[in-house]
Amino acid sequence: MAKGGNPLHDSVPIGEEAKPPFAILPDPASLFAARAARFRALADGHELGPYLLFLAGIADIQNALIGGLPAVAPPTADALARAASFGMPPLDRNAFVFDETYKATFAKLLAAAGKLDMPQAAREALDRLAAADDARREELARSMLADSAEVEFLADHIFVAAALQVHLARMAATLDADKLVEIGPGACPSCGGPPVSSMVVGWQGSHGSRFCVCAHCATKWNYVRIKCTLCGETKGIEYHEVDGSGGAVKAETCASCGGYVKAMQQIKHPDVDPVADDVASLALDILMREEGRRRGAVNPFLFGY
Amino acid sequence: MNMQLSRRAFLGRTGAGIAGTALGALGFGEVESAYAQAVRPFKLARTTETRNTCTYCSVACGIIMYSMGDGSKNAKSAVIHIEGDPDHPVNRGTLCPKGAALLDYVHSETRLKYPMYRKPGSDKFERVTWDFALDRIAQLMKADRDANFIEKNNDGQTVNRWTTTGFLAASATTNETAFATYKVVRSAGMVVFDNQARV
Repeated sequence: MAKGGNPLHDSVPIGEEAKPPFAILPDPASLFAARAARFRALADGHELGPYLLFLAGIADIQNALIGGLPAVAPPTADALARAASFGMPPLDRNAFVFDETYKATFAKLLAAAGKLDMPQAAREALDRLAAADDARREELARSMLADSAEVEFLADHIFVAAALQVHLARMAATLDADKLVEIGPGACPSCGGPPVSSMVVGWQGSHGSRFCVCAHCATKWNYVRIKCTLCGETKGIEYHEVDGSGGAVKAETCASCGGYVKAMQQIKHPDVDPVADDVASLALDILMREEGRRRGAVNPFLFGY
Repeated sequence: MNMQLSRRAFLGRTGAGIAGTALGALGFGEVESAYAQAVRPFKLARTTETRNTCTYCSVACGIIMYSMGDGSKNAKSAVIHIEGDPDHPVNRGTLCPKGAALLDYVHSETRLKYPMYRKPGSDKFERVTWDFALDRIAQLMKADRDANFIEKNNDGQTVNRWTTTGFLAASATTNETAFATYKVVRSAGMVVFDNQARV
């Protein structure tokens, strides 16, 4: 018998409803292992194979670091409350603390990277970093966190970026995803960082939704599709892909700001990784650059594009 | 939000494989140059994704229409795929069986693309201009209204009803369009009216 009161509606199952969470925090325990596997899979038969294998080695090291490091110091309750009251991300990259945890992360990454096969230039950068004092190491970390790098020491910055990816993913993992709020277009709700790429996902409960992935802390945040991830414009959005590439990676191009960020079609290619597939699809960046388009995403492994 | 590389603009123009890129700086410059050469023959394919509202019913589900081809070049544009819009609060990415078949509706050979007219006594439709169609509709509506308008009911009360013509409006209209439609239709006295604003 029907009950009195307001009418009840039976929902008719006509497909997967997308009710995505606003933010998904990184899981450091699986993040880098999956990335390493993806780099290896992509390297097979790829013209950039040697570079992708090198980056697979870096991701392996990042993965091995997790678990063997001192605990990260999460933001204080005061800092969290202040960030929340001003609509700012809880992890303040400008207030980065060059603490023992980060020092240990960086030192262990350097030591492990020494065992990787790498070209002479990378080896020299590693030696420079090994000889650098804390002041220099802090300076490099701070400039990476401010999204800037000295062109003479790009290789040094890339190793620093790898250590920071581990450190910030661990920091972000201490946050409460339910308390994260939207900061603005192109800004990570955890650390305010720029996206490395975005993913249209096929996950249960988020079918067809899009998530931006933070270049620094790997937090994923839900972002309306067909909307520029850099400036938030919804008009004049186009998608470019390398003809015949199968459409796993498309460049979402904005006519308003002239930039583009890659949108990975995880819904069709479940293995795509926001960082690894960004590097492996460098062809798209090269062709886009010839068209005069500006790459808006940040990925230290693709500095200079 | 580009990475700020000092002297980047200068180095960016000197070509791939220089210390201006991550690959060059790490010593993978030759790999990078070879790769840049290898990808040169490839071309970019352009697609667009456009938000719209399902044409069928008053639930007004959000849809995303994928189309291919560059309007500014000689390539022919075509809608290649339609799916539910996962960001739309009404349907959250889902579509009913009719909505899921929208692509066939778009490409259907029998789809109505312009006003068609079948003359009295004729056995086939022919294409006509919008001006002709609208004039013809207006004339017929006026004739029907003049013939069948009910000004007063049996008790002599003024009712101003026009019951012999109906009006069906579209599902994807805005509140403002729906408001304007209502005002036009009701002020003509029409009572058989579906604005598809009932859900």
